Amino acid sequence: MKSFVFSDDQSLVPAIATFARALGDVDIYSSGPASPAIKKYGALKIYIVNDTNLTDSIADLLASRMSKGEYQFGFIASTVNGRDVAGLLASKSNAGSIAEISSFELAGSSTRTKRFFFGGKSILEEESSSRIFTVSPGIVEPREVGTESPVEQVSLSPSRISVLSSEEKKSGGVDIEKAQAIVSIGRGLGNKDKLSAIEPFASAINAVIAGSRPVCLDYHWLSEDRQVGLSGRKVRPKVYIALGISGQIQHIAGMRGSKIVIAVNKDKTAPIFEECDYGIVGDMFDVLPRLLDGMKK
Amino acid sequence: MAYNIIVLIKVIPDLEQIKPDQQGNVSTKNLPLRIETLSENSIEAAVQLREKHGGKVTGIIFGTQESVPIMKKAYAMGVDDGVVITGYPGNDPKYTAAVLSSKIKVMPHDIIVLGNQSADSYTGLLPGLLAGTLGYPLIGNAISIVPADRKVRVKKFLENKNVEVEAPLPAVISVAQEINEPRLPPVMQIMAAGRKQIVTEVASISNKSSIKVLSNTAPKSERRKMIFEKAEEGVPVIVKVLKEELR
Ligand SMILES: Cc1cc2nc3c(=O)[nH]c(=O)nc-3n(C[C@H](O)[C@H](O)[C@H](O)COP(=O)(O)OP(=O)(O)OC[C@H]3O[C@@H](n4cnc5c(N)ncnc54)[C@H](O)[C@@H]3O)c2cc1C
Repeated sequence: MKSFVFSDDQSLVPAIATFARALGDVDIYSSGPASPAIKKYGALKIYIVNDTNLTDSIADLLASRMSKGEYQFGFIASTVNGRDVAGLLASKSNAGSIAEISSFELAGSSTRTKRFFFGGKSILEEESSSRIFTVSPGIVEPREVGTESPVEQVSLSPSRISVLSSEEKKSGGVDIEKAQAIVSIGRGLGNKDKLSAIEPFASAINAVIAGSRPVCLDYHWLSEDRQVGLSGRKVRPKVYIALGISGQIQHIAGMRGSKIVIAVNKDKTAPIFEECDYGIVGDMFDVLPRLLDGMKK
Repeated sequence: MAYNIIVLIKVIPDLEQIKPDQQGNVSTKNLPLRIETLSENSIEAAVQLREKHGGKVTGIIFGTQESVPIMKKAYAMGVDDGVVITGYPGNDPKYTAAVLSSKIKVMPHDIIVLGNQSADSYTGLLPGLLAGTLGYPLIGNAISIVPADRKVRVKKFLENKNVEVEAPLPAVISVAQEINEPRLPPVMQIMAAGRKQIVTEVASISNKSSIKVLSNTAPKSERRKMIFEKAEEGVPVIVKVLKEELR
């Protein structure tokens, strides 16, 4: 059995390739240049396409290879371009598709998968004959193999999409998914200047600072790569400290895997208190200095 | 140039009100319904396109009989005409795409707008399935849409970059929440919307979904939930936990 892994973001390849390797052989598709990191995950071949925004042409390529019987399954990183490719491919190849899987099992000729539903309020377990899947980050821990995968450039059929320009976003240069401790801030911070009140505590416990969606996306108090949640990163640190975060379900979906969750919120009825191990009802600017004092003792 | 714009509108239950039963099973029966978050952004984007370029905005809801009143809100936001297709089963975007595309094919259209991922089921597959079925180019997660003649320029909001692309029309464009701030319709418009006609029809294709739902249950929260209302009591406990965990 052979599967392909597609991700326009090479940092998502290791986990998905490791996961797919458990089922059989794997080829990887991404856009180049291939980083040394993605060569370490046991793919038979890494195919590099010139632009992952050409979603129609990529779907054509994968559909034709699937129809020739090259791949039984396709596992696609759930990014904007990944989801577009998955949908186009499922339609072109007439294969079933399941989105955002967090668990996958073969059951005879069918597959059993799990994904969040109702905005993260529930987990939907489905059985189907689907062959195309988008994969939620963190499906397994990446594991390297001893060999290095060969890389091949592959050309695409003409696309109806032309790319006019592309602009890198500012990145915080951190990988919050790897952090052991996370101090996560929400709208309750009030404004960007108040970050300076958080930093001493975060550095005292060696934590990286992350945030809710409004903090990262709407107000830009933090860079977008620090957003935790359904549409952000899925994190699983030893300790997750939520400050001024209400705990809406889309946020919880990104930090549910944390070992211990601590919350500070002014509002006794905030939903975050249903999803934490230890909570303090209070003003974070009052509680944080006390925690810092305690840590120094 | 004026455009025929179709906006796909999803109707969802108020997710915050979902309460699992004793067994952890969740149901959305009898919960109030609303327009899905990114569908509101889609409506706003479609109406803005018409305001700028002229043409017509047609809303399609694939939902149930209960979704019909929700179309009024879409009218109030500026949608010109609306169709509600009933028979939405909920969890197979392939079927949703089949039903929607067969309807779209018989309507005049240049631009099809929908949300990138819906706030409830969150598959993100519908835009691709739809574009694939219709044979149109797909542009995902738009934060700006600028048509010119028979082409459209779109800024895509990706994870690590923003990319500007161009594609011929007709095209399927999915929008990001960041594209706009959906308008709150004035009272006059809400009243006028109440009197407008809504066409309803039953899905014309039968559902041959291969997807079988095995369970749909709330994820278990096994958190300790030790909540302190006095900081002086909570701080020492948390400090101890932090010191143990982060040694
Ligand atoms: C499709 C979709 C995807 C989404 N994806 C994500 C996602 O990936 N991540 C995400 O986070 N959200 C996501 N959201 C948004 C989510 O629904 C919430 O709107 C968001 O998480 C709220 O952020 P918040 O908790 O920071 O702000 P709020 O909900 O405004 O909460 C602020 C909290 O701070 C508290 N507070 C205020 N001042 C203080 C103080 N001084 N001290 C202590 N507490 C204080 C308040 O009591 C309040 O509880 C998504 C929404 C949709 C529709």
